[in-house]
Amino acid sequence: MSLDAIPIHVVPPGEPGLTGNAPPLLRELLEMVRRLLATGEASAIDLSALPLTPADLDWLRDKLGAGEISVTLQANGESTLNETACPGVWWVMHHNEQGAVTSQFIEVAFVPDLVKAHPQDVEIGSGYLELLVSDL
Amino acid sequence: MQGPLIDTLARRGVTRRTFLKYCATLASMMALPPTAGRAMAEAMSAARRPSVIWLPFQECTGCTESITRSHSPTIEGMIFDMISLDYQETLMAAAGHQAEEALHTAMKDNAGKYLLIVDGSIPLGQDGAYSCIGGRSNVDILKEAAQGAAAVIAVGSCASFGGIPKANPNPTGAVSVSDLVKDKPIVNIPGCPPIPVVMTGVLAHYLTFGSLPELDDKGRPKSFYGDTIHDRCYRRPFYDQGKFAKTFDDEGARQGWCLFELGCKGPVTHNACATVKWNGGTSWPVESGHGCLGCSEPDFWDGGSFYKALSAPADPLKFAAVAAVVGAGAGVAVSVANRVKKSAAKATHETTTLADLEK
Ligand code: SF4
Ligand code: SF4
Repeated sequence: MSLDAIPIHVVPPGEPGLTGNAPPLLRELLEMVRRLLATGEASAIDLSALPLTPADLDWLRDKLGAGEISVTLQANGESTLNETACPGVWWVMHHNEQGAVTSQFIEVAFVPDLVKAHPQDVEIGSGYLELLVSDL
Repeated sequence: MQGPLIDTLARRGVTRRTFLKYCATLASMMALPPTAGRAMAEAMSAARRPSVIWLPFQECTGCTESITRSHSPTIEGMIFDMISLDYQETLMAAAGHQAEEALHTAMKDNAGKYLLIVDGSIPLGQDGAYSCIGGRSNVDILKEAAQGAAAVIAVGSCASFGGIPKANPNPTGAVSVSDLVKDKPIVNIPGCPPIPVVMTGVLAHYLTFGSLPELDDKGRPKSFYGDTIHDRCYRRPFYDQGKFAKTFDDEGARQGWCLFELGCKGPVTHNACATVKWNGGTSWPVESGHGCLGCSEPDFWDGGSFYKALSAPADPLKFAAVAAVVGAGAGVAVSVANRVKKSAAKATHETTTLADLEK
């Protein structure tokens, strides 16, 4: 029997709407971007830790817009790291294998850490390349 | 299994990015600043395995099941593997005298440094004879093992508060770890059973920062037990609108309304079910249509019927006011919003305990 056979329809209790918690985040982002430019220091806002409604998140995403780069990472479920219309501001979403959002951040960085290859991993890659070359 | 954790994970097909992603989410769940995820990943991937001794007392093994059994090998499971679990009766291959010897060797070699995990309550009746291992009572073993421990982690409601063995009339005279151990730091991870990630979170915190996380007045990590179920329940808007299911099969139940009148103990229960959920984030009791039983609070079994509504707090307006305060806090200082919210929630809820339940 599939779950659909159980007649429970959860009705969303009306759009909770905007709480006014999103606009201050834009100000905070501005500070973070300025800091990135001045010192090169990357930073992030943890969106799941804040009392934001879906409407707030939509508003924020809409304001920040979409940029040129979107990165998809397949690691224990999909993660997306999308640059917004403000270069250096990335909307980062982590999903688990079931597709549920496990955490959500706005990252301010030239390149998000997760995208960069780690030197130790590069070393492993170089070992593999050496192997390929030695087989030539 | 030796060497840094990252190598162990790599051997099991877990990439560095998977681990970084996991740590970012864990840090977020633990209400640590976003940058902590990276620090955690770095510290943990290089961490040395701490010696852990796990003593099971008057328990049902449900807590061990919760943490070690999942459908697929989870990172939780692997972090659990990274500790040097020197004694765990359910999982260890050794038995009898061999097992007891392993326990004593671990205690001697790592004196003052090992983490002691306890699940189950400790019976004091009949000089502790109700539960013995290798001819020694639980209370004796606990006292000996606690002496050399760096800290004690009480896993599950039984070890934390006495749990079901302690339920009225408590035939074995069961008590909690903190009733007996007074001179060591103790972390309580209650729940019947506790959520696996809470346990990983405490271990991760210990491995990363070399210290235990911040605790509430009942010895529970604030990051997971700081909010009530009700604070974070997705049915909360129905509560605020006064829409309650009256029976488990009425129209309200079908519409997914609040389960308060069906006995939900969410308003007085501090746990992370509403956000972390169960079974790899699949669902949780309230989402499955049943009220919260209050399993992570002391004496939840004696709190009256699971199906009788809480007598207090019953004023939806009071909660709406808290929600407004939360909003204001977030507007002022976003980075501390979570903590502001938590303390606001704490201040409002701490006056109502399970003892206030209608008997
Ligand atoms: S009473 Fe229970 S079901 Fe209702 S909002 Fe609170 S936690 Fe959710
Ligand atoms: S919903 Fe309540 S009773 Fe159920 S596991 Fe969570 S805290 Fe325990």
